[in-house]
Amino acid sequence: MSALLSVADITVRFGGVEAVSNVSFDVQDGELLGFIGPNGAGKTTMMRVITGLVTPTLGSVCLEDRDLGGLAVFRRVQRGLGLAQQIVRPFNSFSALDNVALAAGQRHTARPMRALFSFRRARERAKAHELLKLVGIDHVADAMPPSLPLGYRKRLELARALALGPRLLLLDEPLAGLNQTEATALADTIADLNQRGLAMILIEHNLSEVMRICPRLVVQDNGRKIGDGPAESVMSDPLVRSAYLGTGESG
Amino acid sequence: MGYEITLATSMCISVVFALSLNLITGFCGQISLGHAAFFGVGAYTAALSSQAGLAFPLDLLAAAAAAAVFGFIVGLSSLRVRHDFLAITTMGFGFLFLGVVRQQDWLGGEMGISAIPGSGLSKLGYLGFVAAVAVAVALFSAYLKRSWLGFSFAAIADDEDTARVVALDVARYKLLAFVLGTAIAGIAGGLYAHHVRFISPDSFGFVESIAVLSMVIVGGIGSVPGVVFAALVLTALPLWFQVIEDYKLLLYSALLFIMMQLCEDGIGGLMRRLMQGRRRTT
Amino acid sequence: MLYLELLIQGLVQGGIYTLIALGLTLVYGLLRILHVAHAALFTLGGYLGVILTNATGSLALAMVLTMLVTGVVGMGVYRVAYQPILDKPPYVALIASIALFIASEEIYRLVFGPYGLSYDAPPLQGVIDLFGSGMYLKQAELLVLAGTGAALIGLHLLSTRTRIGIAWRATVTDPEMAASFGIRTQRVRYLNFFIGSALAAAAGVMVALLNNLVEPTMGSVPSYKALAIIVLGGIGSIRGTLIASLALGVIESFGTIYLGSLLDRDAIAFAFLILVLMWRPQGLLGRT
Repeated sequence: MSALLSVADITVRFGGVEAVSNVSFDVQDGELLGFIGPNGAGKTTMMRVITGLVTPTLGSVCLEDRDLGGLAVFRRVQRGLGLAQQIVRPFNSFSALDNVALAAGQRHTARPMRALFSFRRARERAKAHELLKLVGIDHVADAMPPSLPLGYRKRLELARALALGPRLLLLDEPLAGLNQTEATALADTIADLNQRGLAMILIEHNLSEVMRICPRLVVQDNGRKIGDGPAESVMSDPLVRSAYLGTGESG
Repeated sequence: MGYEITLATSMCISVVFALSLNLITGFCGQISLGHAAFFGVGAYTAALSSQAGLAFPLDLLAAAAAAAVFGFIVGLSSLRVRHDFLAITTMGFGFLFLGVVRQQDWLGGEMGISAIPGSGLSKLGYLGFVAAVAVAVALFSAYLKRSWLGFSFAAIADDEDTARVVALDVARYKLLAFVLGTAIAGIAGGLYAHHVRFISPDSFGFVESIAVLSMVIVGGIGSVPGVVFAALVLTALPLWFQVIEDYKLLLYSALLFIMMQLCEDGIGGLMRRLMQGRRRTT
Repeated sequence: MLYLELLIQGLVQGGIYTLIALGLTLVYGLLRILHVAHAALFTLGGYLGVILTNATGSLALAMVLTMLVTGVVGMGVYRVAYQPILDKPPYVALIASIALFIASEEIYRLVFGPYGLSYDAPPLQGVIDLFGSGMYLKQAELLVLAGTGAALIGLHLLSTRTRIGIAWRATVTDPEMAASFGIRTQRVRYLNFFIGSALAAAAGVMVALLNNLVEPTMGSVPSYKALAIIVLGGIGSIRGTLIASLALGVIESFGTIYLGSLLDRDAIAFAFLILVLMWRPQGLLGRT
């Protein structure tokens, strides 16, 4: 059975620096994969290769056996890649509900001419309420994002990504900036979503939460993959431990 | 009575022109400082084609098409440049249009084109036609704003990069905004040509681009009723009070400046805030 | 021979553009605002230059006073027009600037009349024979070239040798870091506007000399072109501005001769701009 996402031999070089060196890994359908590594490991670059913001020097990324190479970000999203960014960017002039409803309306917005002739939003609004409820912020559906605390905006980012009905969701440091309680709660929500069958890649620094909810981890350090397997065994790997202890981080 | 009809016709043409820019700048957030050029393309196309025998109102379609082609080209270039450069690029296209027209004899050069055929309607009849077009464009704008196209435009105006993350083909949307907006501007230009029966490059310069942009901004970027209101008032005011004529530009620019300092989302924004305030107190 | 003359004419025009565009670049580099109203200060310089020269009989004195006064007015423009709206979306500052510019043209027209002013006894009208070659350069044109050179050298020295100049460069590169080092951003901004406006005023005085005329709309065409120049020259790059200005001056000079049947002189600048931007959207020397 072939993998949902197949990252093969990705190398990224710019300005004389090799940010990512020959990294390969797969993500299976329905899997929750943790993607970790110390600061400066090239994790963000790797993620940008998958989303299409960075073109790799070598290698390929395939979603459901179709090569994503050369496709713009929006096309990859149309193909089934969802994205919840590290620095959350909601549409500040839309309410939380409208943020999610727009994403839910992908069939209307896929082509501009189609969008001109589509008018009704009731269905997408209902879907948006459902998703906001799922992530626990339906009570602020009509609020404007600038008035919401960071934790809520992170959940909004998640709900909006879900509304696109992705096959694979990339979560870039969703727990960053949250306190312990908020982080645990959001991690629980993420795990719950995965239980419902959504495949995800979770990039995170918060190792305790990652260990708790991710069955499998891929570890990157200095652009190279140094670990790939069940969470427990990866974290007990001496190579991985020294990469982290070297920077003072611990689980 | 004749003077009032002429004034009313000018006002309606301004409404169409302002709403066309509102689509590009108001709905989709692309600042255009050269919109008068598309108005000009429409006017020249209508003038020349009707002189060549194309009947009114078919020449308006030709005007719209010509303006839309030019608009597509400008739209394509808008995709390449970042937003503050976009303003200058559109301004550049405006000057380029003028520069070319001024040098071409078949376009009338500096002297312009005169003896443009009328519409075949009486003055009152023409007013009725123009008013109908204005109403149609206003209704279309209002519909567009509530449609999924308007929803997408608003997202792009808010944050282009995030719009891509929610699967919007931003490039195509911007192009569509330019094509629709410039086509309507072309129609306005054609209507203008048949109204004044004489056109010259002087009517389609940078100041005219700023004037129509003022209508959009004073009206409130994106607000259809606001822009309609602003277009009507800003056109009528100097023509009503002839004494203002000499100070017209100064007043326009002072008004714009003060609005930018105090309420940059225009009349539409003011209304919106007033209504939200009232809702909160009930 | 013709080519050399065209080249020199182009460089003179380019020098004027440089003096105007430098002020624009300085503001854009610092605040990311397209300071369209800058041209109003250029025109103000022209008017003050004529009035003060006529009043005092000395061009040199008039030049100094004009630059000082206009520099201060420029600082006032920042305080009144831009400082209050710095945190609003970028189109607000742009529209406010355009509005201010149009208002200024109208004010000049209403105050000084639509037909302009001239020098009573125009200075520097003599011509110099360039190296005895039979090619003539007006003294005023020489002043432009000398003035541009002096301005550039002055700016270079200022930004590399003086504390405030270094502070300015730091603020342009990284405002937050500069502020955390204790650099007073306000001071840098005022200096920015002072210098830019003073240079524009100098350009205004020189253009008035070249044409022996100051009139209300003399700022519009150079201002649009200066905008095109800073876009071409890249984000806030002084070197880029200089190259783009000189290039534009020379291209216009040759272009008017060879393309004159297709485009008028002012459109050439924008045709050039659009072509370059399609090729390099970040400008001639901007970084991607």
